[in-house]
Amino acid sequence: MKKAKKILFTVLGGAAALYAGLFAVFYFDLDGKFLYHVVEPFLCRHYDKIERRDISKVPYDVDKYPEYEYKT
Amino acid sequence: MGMKNFKKKLRDFVYGKPHRERRLGDLYEPKTGLYKHREWRGIKDTMYYFNRIWLYNYGMMVYDVMRYGGVVNFMKGVWRYRWIGQTYLTVMHWYDRGFEGLRGPALAASAWHYRAMTSETIRQFMRMFSADANLRGGKRNELWQKTIAHDETVAGAIFYPWRDRIDDVPLQMVPYFFTWHVTWHTVLHYIDAVQSIGLPGDPCPMCQAEAGLSVLDDMPDYFPFLITSNEACDGSVGTSILQDWAYDKPLFAMPQPMQFDDPLVQEHCRREIEECWKFIEEQTGLPFDYDCFVKYIERYNELTRFEHEKWDVAANSPYYPLCGSAQALYRIYYSQAGWRDIWAQTDKRVKKILHKCVERKINCFPETRHRVIAWSCAPLYYSFWPTWAYNCWGLYTVINMDSLMFDIDMRTDTPEHLMEDFTLYNEWAPMRRMAVGGYKHIFELWENMERFHCDMVMMYDQIQCKGMQGITGMFEDEFRKRNIHAIWMPHALPDSRTVSRAEIRSKINDYMFTVMHEEPLDPTLLDFDDSLGW
Repeated sequence: MKKAKKILFTVLGGAAALYAGLFAVFYFDLDGKFLYHVVEPFLCRHYDKIERRDISKVPYDVDKYPEYEYKT
Repeated sequence: MGMKNFKKKLRDFVYGKPHRERRLGDLYEPKTGLYKHREWRGIKDTMYYFNRIWLYNYGMMVYDVMRYGGVVNFMKGVWRYRWIGQTYLTVMHWYDRGFEGLRGPALAASAWHYRAMTSETIRQFMRMFSADANLRGGKRNELWQKTIAHDETVAGAIFYPWRDRIDDVPLQMVPYFFTWHVTWHTVLHYIDAVQSIGLPGDPCPMCQAEAGLSVLDDMPDYFPFLITSNEACDGSVGTSILQDWAYDKPLFAMPQPMQFDDPLVQEHCRREIEECWKFIEEQTGLPFDYDCFVKYIERYNELTRFEHEKWDVAANSPYYPLCGSAQALYRIYYSQAGWRDIWAQTDKRVKKILHKCVERKINCFPETRHRVIAWSCAPLYYSFWPTWAYNCWGLYTVINMDSLMFDIDMRTDTPEHLMEDFTLYNEWAPMRRMAVGGYKHIFELWENMERFHCDMVMMYDQIQCKGMQGITGMFEDEFRKRNIHAIWMPHALPDSRTVSRAEIRSKINDYMFTVMHEEPLDPTLLDFDDSLGW
């Protein structure tokens, strides 16, 4: 019984601490600051390095497909 | 600290500060627009925001990602496409900017609208990633075969006859249109990309950015064929050509007529729609399902009827619980995307809040000094300006032009009636219904001012829209003749480098000081630097 109570209080205490921690993240906009100063610059550096197809080197074959005209 | 001071501080802690004492501008960090801390709105509303908006939406975003395709697909997409990683991870800040200063039912109702848009956005990009051949080494899976792509300006309703068998995902709604609301940085890459191949910089930047997605090779390969449009204007025709070149897939261009008053145009437009349906049948091998079409039209009609109820409350009472940006964005999003279950769920929740406000006579925007109608096309990198304008000046945006599109309760009693109404519905698309539909339609402003009991116009001045530029002088004349207070708001649709948010604010400030001779409700919001913000 005593052990069960201890587990219960530990779980409740942990949940309360987690809730308080999340509230601090929310109130001080820590999610925004983390995304702005860490995640976004990291991802942008990655996106800038991606090799992309150069569309100006792709031929434009306008007659490849039919004109898709239908009688209605 | 005296007892009086202590009581005041305690009251502010419990209930939040009164509007004129909030000093919301002091919460911003310089340039980034990040918050030193989020707003304290009193115990009840702060905890509502924390629990029911911030925590709930972060949780629901994970849930939506899981149910629409899973974390692996999501992470692959984030790693591959700039528009998702640079934009949507920051989505909760978009909520923050839209809801500054909101309390009670206004906070709740507006947040439900944002939640619906977020959920539909996740559904769309997860469908893209789940079907994307780019993320699978070029392999085209079954979902790729079962997904129709279409220009974001082709109404989702066009695809109702197939919706139970295959799905449709607009090409640019999520990669382009929604990004600029959440983070204005992303879209600039696409504008620059399209100009880098030699296109001039002066066409509509919306069309430039839409085309730029394909030029920059930043669009998932999730579809076997696509349907494009000339809507909103001939700039979109140029977009279709670039899309045809870049995607190299069967493409059907379905024009939407501009002069839709002519009865002969109705017949022509109807034939265009039916040709499009033939094209879909041919490409998918799946026949048109009339019952399915009717089923979704009737469901969508329910959304339209509730929209009318909302407009009625907004027009005739101070009990409307939606901020201007929630109203405008939700309406254009769901009307363009067509019926989805999330819209019905949201309307059910918002209806309860709306009815509560009316029954209990709750004035959600009590500091309203002027009831504003916003006209023409909006600065979408600053779609939350109505929140700023209310907090700073007491300008409450009741309705905007694009919300009045697709406004028809379609008859389903006979196929003939349905097609008559559906044709009209297709013609009454955003920007087409009024902005490009002939001058007498753009002048429907006057009757809508009366209908919504507005005393001021926020006249959007999209400086790269040649169509609207042509009618500026006539508007000026009419404003003078009718003695209407109108503020011209210059902007460049998605390109905030041309006209910044700060410049937009300064135009409104100038008018309110020099013409209206009014003082701001919150002077800290007059001038601040958010030039590097999202």
